[in-house]
Amino acid sequence: MCVWCERYGEGHERWYLNPANYARRLYKVRKDEPEAAGAEGNPQAAGGMASMGRAFLEARERGDLETVERMRKQAHDIAWGIHFGQVITQEELEQILDIIYPIGLMTCACRRSMRGLPDEENFTCMGMGPGMYKWERWPDTYRGGVHFLTPDEAKQVLNTLRSRGLVHTLFTFGTPYLAGLCNCDYPDCAAIRTAVDVDVKVLWKGHYIAEVDPDLCNGCGLCVRRCQFKALSFSPSTLKANIDPLQCYGCSLCRDVCKPDAIRLVDRATLPALAEIW
Amino acid sequence: MLATIVVEDSKCPDPLACRKCLLVCPTRVLGLGTDVGPQKYREIDPEHFIVRGVREQFCTVCMKCVEVCPNGAIQVTVEGGVPA
Ligand code: SF4
Ligand code: SF4
Ligand code: SF4
Repeated sequence: MCVWCERYGEGHERWYLNPANYARRLYKVRKDEPEAAGAEGNPQAAGGMASMGRAFLEARERGDLETVERMRKQAHDIAWGIHFGQVITQEELEQILDIIYPIGLMTCACRRSMRGLPDEENFTCMGMGPGMYKWERWPDTYRGGVHFLTPDEAKQVLNTLRSRGLVHTLFTFGTPYLAGLCNCDYPDCAAIRTAVDVDVKVLWKGHYIAEVDPDLCNGCGLCVRRCQFKALSFSPSTLKANIDPLQCYGCSLCRDVCKPDAIRLVDRATLPALAEIW
Repeated sequence: MLATIVVEDSKCPDPLACRKCLLVCPTRVLGLGTDVGPQKYREIDPEHFIVRGVREQFCTVCMKCVEVCPNGAIQVTVEGGVPA
């Protein structure tokens, strides 16, 4: 259980399984917050050129740990209050599809920023909840328009994106209002990049960690290229796959392709040293 | 050494349509954004899109972006100079 579950779970197993966190009530609260009224409260500014800025990179390079930590904390305070994400598993995604409405397929702001991807190739994000009814107010955030999907259609699209190798993530827009269901990869997702590259947690790890059972692993190596978090490697010594539990985000993508079922998910909370590593 | 990347916006009129530099960079150092932020009820004009260096710690100063830009809009420099 992460701090967000403690704060916003309200008796549900996870904060993102609490239907209240997708509700209009919270969306209204967000609009009243002064800092959310500007660029930061909007998906495009957040996803578009999300980065830590030159001053942070320079402090990092000259080894000025005090400045790095101060800037990291500032970034956390802003992101965690307004716009940050968490990785979810396929099982959790299916539970969420039962509680969110409406669901709109939209273009991805990160891939637009990273690669200038044309709209027609870029429909990999989903917006959800009552905020989606107002999408036309922000023509640029929703470049290419929005396709509203039934839960079954959404499930099909998400399965296709997942089989391509994209990681399901949930994002807040005015925490704890969850309004983004994204499908991410390295290096095109700004949130994965910021988390993995400079350890600024605009993307939290999920509640699970994947483990390989070496007795079952046949060494096919298929899982290795599924990992977007640099957690999976192939050991030439043992001829088995190897998962770094400190680096694993628990997305479960590796498990999808393992024919002998050698990969299983364990709850982060069962590993005392990892329980607080998000 | 962190590279310094300067893009002359007046020489880069429509980066969203061009995007050559974004695609050529091996480490996705460059980012596309706008100089106006989100605009309510309005599509943003192409001239307000801009390219910036945003992840300079990954810039190897390979000069691929500089070479690929048809308008010579990008300059990449690093302290101590760039090999000829
Ligand atoms: S996919 Fe399964 S069997 Fe193949 S290397 Fe990975 S863990 Fe081993
Ligand atoms: S090791 Fe598997 S579960 Fe963990 S982050 Fe990589 S692909 Fe996802
Ligand atoms: S010089 Fe090379 S690494 Fe640096 S931004 Fe340009 S293409 Fe990318």
